[in-house]
Amino acid sequence: MTSPETHHTGTFDTATQGSGLGAFTGTSVKRVEDHRLLVGDGRYVADVVPPGCLHAAFVRSPFPHARLTGIDTSEATRLPGVVSVITGSDIEELTNPFLPFLALPGLYTPLYHSLSSERVRFVGDPVALVVASSRAVAEDAAELVDVTYEVLDGIGTIDRALDPESEPIWPRAKNNLLYDRTTDHGDVEGVFADADHVFTETFRCPRQSNQPMETRGILVEVDSVTGAVSVRAATQAPHMLRWQIAAYARKESGPQSIRSFLTNPERRGAFLAAAKAFVGDKGEALQSSDSTAMQHQLKTEPRTALQMVRTGAQLLGRDDYPHVDADDIGGGFGAKGSVAREEIAVAAAALAIGRSIQWIEDRMENLMDGGQAREEELTLSIACDADGTVRGLDVDLVLDQGAYPGNPVGAPITVRIMEVMQPGAYRFEAFRQRSRIVATNKGKYVAYRGPWANETWARERMINVVARRLGLSQTEIRRKNMYGDEDWPAAMLTGPALDVTCSVRKTLERAEELADLDRLDALRADAVSRGKRLGIGFASYHEAAPGPPDYFEHVNPGTSALLDQPATASVSVDGTIQIWTSQMPHGQSHETTYAQLAADQLGVAIEDIELVYGDTSRAPFDLLGTGGSRGGPVGGGAVRKVGRHLRSVVVAKAADMLEASVDDVTIERGNIHVAGVPARGLTYAEVAARVVADGETVDGRDGTYAFSVDDTYTSAGDGGWSVATHVCWVEVDVETGIVEIPRYLVVEDCGPIINPAIVDGQVRGGVAQGIGAVLYERAAYDEQANPQASTYMDYLIPTATEIPRIEVDHMETLSPGENDHRGVGEGGMIGAPAAITNAIEDAIGVTVNDQHLPPYRILELMGIIRPD
Amino acid sequence: MKAPPFAYARPTTLDGALELLSTHADSKVLAGGQSLLPVMNLRLGAPSLLVDISRIPMLDRIVVDDDGAVTIGALVTHTAVEGSADIARHAPLVAEAAPYIGHRAIRNRGTCVGSIAHADPAAEMPAVCLATDAIMISTSTHGDRVIPASAFFTGFLDTALRDDELLAAVRFPASPPGATGSVVEVSRRHGDYALAGLVCRLVVERGTITDAALAYFGVGPTAERVPEAEALLVGSDGRGPALDRAVEAVEATLDPPSDVHGTTAYRRHLAGVLCRRGVADAIARSTEEVA
Ligand SMILES: Cc1cc2nc3c(=O)[nH]c(=O)nc-3n(C[C@H](O)[C@H](O)[C@H](O)COP(=O)(O)OP(=O)(O)OC[C@H]3O[C@@H](n4cnc5c(N)ncnc54)[C@H](O)[C@@H]3O)c2cc1C
Repeated sequence: MTSPETHHTGTFDTATQGSGLGAFTGTSVKRVEDHRLLVGDGRYVADVVPPGCLHAAFVRSPFPHARLTGIDTSEATRLPGVVSVITGSDIEELTNPFLPFLALPGLYTPLYHSLSSERVRFVGDPVALVVASSRAVAEDAAELVDVTYEVLDGIGTIDRALDPESEPIWPRAKNNLLYDRTTDHGDVEGVFADADHVFTETFRCPRQSNQPMETRGILVEVDSVTGAVSVRAATQAPHMLRWQIAAYARKESGPQSIRSFLTNPERRGAFLAAAKAFVGDKGEALQSSDSTAMQHQLKTEPRTALQMVRTGAQLLGRDDYPHVDADDIGGGFGAKGSVAREEIAVAAAALAIGRSIQWIEDRMENLMDGGQAREEELTLSIACDADGTVRGLDVDLVLDQGAYPGNPVGAPITVRIMEVMQPGAYRFEAFRQRSRIVATNKGKYVAYRGPWANETWARERMINVVARRLGLSQTEIRRKNMYGDEDWPAAMLTGPALDVTCSVRKTLERAEELADLDRLDALRADAVSRGKRLGIGFASYHEAAPGPPDYFEHVNPGTSALLDQPATASVSVDGTIQIWTSQMPHGQSHETTYAQLAADQLGVAIEDIELVYGDTSRAPFDLLGTGGSRGGPVGGGAVRKVGRHLRSVVVAKAADMLEASVDDVTIERGNIHVAGVPARGLTYAEVAARVVADGETVDGRDGTYAFSVDDTYTSAGDGGWSVATHVCWVEVDVETGIVEIPRYLVVEDCGPIINPAIVDGQVRGGVAQGIGAVLYERAAYDEQANPQASTYMDYLIPTATEIPRIEVDHMETLSPGENDHRGVGEGGMIGAPAAITNAIEDAIGVTVNDQHLPPYRILELMGIIRPD
Repeated sequence: MKAPPFAYARPTTLDGALELLSTHADSKVLAGGQSLLPVMNLRLGAPSLLVDISRIPMLDRIVVDDDGAVTIGALVTHTAVEGSADIARHAPLVAEAAPYIGHRAIRNRGTCVGSIAHADPAAEMPAVCLATDAIMISTSTHGDRVIPASAFFTGFLDTALRDDELLAAVRFPASPPGATGSVVEVSRRHGDYALAGLVCRLVVERGTITDAALAYFGVGPTAERVPEAEALLVGSDGRGPALDRAVEAVEATLDPPSDVHGTTAYRRHLAGVLCRRGVADAIARSTEEVA
């Protein structure tokens, strides 16, 4: 099959000398990170083992659900090399429980510790931590810890969890339904009564797992002299980890904490000033936040208030927060945005023992407890007219969060985003969503690249179901019902504003052009002649990357305040340039793209920019780190803003030195000069030297600088939507059920592109994970919640041989905003499952309700074999 | 995922190895380690002594007898099998099966004989042995034994080898005139163990099948032959109704396991599909050769 060439915006420009503003942005400069990583010079947490470091292994529950009736560590403790065995009850003495974060009205969030002591809730639930001279010895000892369990009924499916008689995993919640809320937008009853047809289907997505190449890991170093704690970790959010270790890994008495806060006037003053500034800035946002969530939580779990006060006082009363440093990270896909129970347990152990401890998760632990996602069941009803006009959407969503809540980001925020995004770019008149969260005895649900993606999957599947029932084509029904340029300004029924950046329909039209639809019949006939069935699937979506300014207020009122992005730019006294970001790169190429943005502002070369990140004593404060497709738009916006700011102060000083007006000064290839007179220019080093000579240096983030400026970027006013249409062609072997993908096309629009090669890589990586979701990857559990895929023999990740060439076509719609790069890290994964399953349905001619379609399932759907 | 403690020895003579195996009850031969070490790291097995045979001379040889029988020594890797012109010529089914095994890195270390000794039900080589009536040559301090493939694979990961025995080599007898065959399998990803696979060996004389072996892997506790289906093929041309009946016999006889990758019904169905494909491939080759 021939296919159109990948279309790139920008050229492959490997030049590294900046010729002035705008030279790098938009070109595929080579990744700055590659050399270091490819020659093995990357530094991951496992690479750093200080002398005398101890190693940790966890004793984990072999049962999905059980009461823990006894634990005997004596034999394990006697094993040579073992330093300590810490149990769940020890950890209750040593640490604070985890607290709810982003509570939703009606949601029950349990209080729990990093090790379990009375009840275990999934296979892999940690009940003890062994600290020993090596990981091997720690594992030997872990086998010797004698735990007695009284086995309870395991809840392995959504149906079992919804049964009100099912054994409650969290007894205070009374049953396993933790959240249940219905919201109406528009006249739902009226529209459904009035429409010509109502079609209903249920779509099921089984559990998947974020699978980074590098598992989780942490090194907690304790200085044997000062007791100071420093942490290295594979984390997407170093500041979040720092705060949580400070909050949870040591338990201090409330009165003691309050006393130490009150007796320290400096800290007290700083806190009050910060609080005043925060409330001043975010007053409006804070007012709109809803307190019913917390009221409900306190009713079901009264201890929450006490623990919040205690933990808050502890945070206020301390000035010895650990120092956290994250270096190279082998991927995360959202899982490393969570703070793990294991991390808190290891930190607590290190503090208690007073020695350095490293824990590097193994793949089996990772598959059981490293983070799982996307297990959702959605029943969609669409009310539509006979001509194919879709009018009403009614969705019943159940999300299986597993045993423990994601921390801090997990099921609740995902449910909210799913609901807000569910109607997609279609002009529905009315929308109702019932959202439920259930607990089961499985690994915890975390954010996984495009965490809300199943709203797109289910909607785009249902749109195809409607099209088939009405005899319309996949593209016809979409074109007919999508918002387009004639509609702006518009808003989704759920609230967020839609503008020109919601160019979904344009990507669909472009995809139709590129898809050679007139050849489809010939392709189908050819496939049949080879014993195969060919099908084609379209799917379109828009995603908030970062979304319009009002977006997060519709998701969870009051949370916008968390989303601001600080950045710093500095020139050292020797003239070198630093950009300091709170983003935490783990595969997104920040060092390259931020250097492109900054070099263009500062008129220097890519390699003149040093990106500082990951180290909490240097990186600007931001709890979220990297996630949510914010790196390009918000993180990049901050870099551009602070870069422009730095340029202005450097130019001002240079203008003085050149006895010129600032308006006449320009910077080209690092030469700061009066426009038209490059021969009489200055270097950054020369300007910096003059700053030093003039005694004008400033205190920067961690020392003295010639220049240092800070800025905070709020996305308000910029950004918007990132959109795409995916088209997938499949060939199904009717004898074996094996699905092949002869062609895959993505037409995407993330606005002006910083680096086309990197955008292509992000899109293709996302599509690869979508292919994995449909054809290979499944974090399978049985009915009783026993895991069925705890090694790579059973959890199958597609390899290079399973991923086809993926064509990427870029459209670059400009928005009115100033920093117009929109996020692109998640979209590939959002569109792919829908396009692939739509193609499979088209090929086999049977309604597809499952997202995961291994070969046996395909033959079952086709009626060739009977389901077991 | 660290192995429990174990002792390790790397004898440089065969006798030294046999001595260790006979005196340590809980010892295991370590060949390429591609199956044994994962088992230990997952703590599914805990031998107290590993006898690494990699330094024993002569075990890495491939020998062809005058009559065309091929003997493969215990240290011959899958990669060496793939690269051997002798094996390609005299034991073509062995050569054809080898590339299906895992990935290059695994084939570089993993051994053909180790694969047979390990007897994974989804592995290719045990089925090749069954289809070709291979002979296992084992040795111990008590002397050598020859064990026909039909008596060797006794159960899930279980063979007729005694704990103190080393499998020194496997011998594939010379192919009779008219022999043809094929290896077909379906796996979820490139390099995975097969969901179901078939080694088919036929002897075709003037268009009629005079001998047939259908050795399946991945569909039961061990690789297994399906004599009911083989008998239906013998005397036929291997097409049309004869093939249909053989496929039915395969589906009626096999009772494959169910797991996350495939249900019993699916694997049974695949076995039938593979019968059709494998027999057709083998026959196509025999006529090609004649033509
Ligand atoms: C990711 C992966 C994928 C794989 N995919 C496949 C596949 O698709 N198909 C396939 O067939 N195999 C596959 N394998 C296994 C591979 O073929 C192994 O090489 C083979 O099964 C064992 O050979 P070895 O030399 O590594 O044996 P070892 O791992 O060293 O030993 C395996 C077992 O056999 C015993 N043993 C080995 N040699 C002898 C001997 N001479 N005498 C007595 N006992 C002996 C050992 O004691 C041990 O019990 C895969 C392995 C991996 C890691």
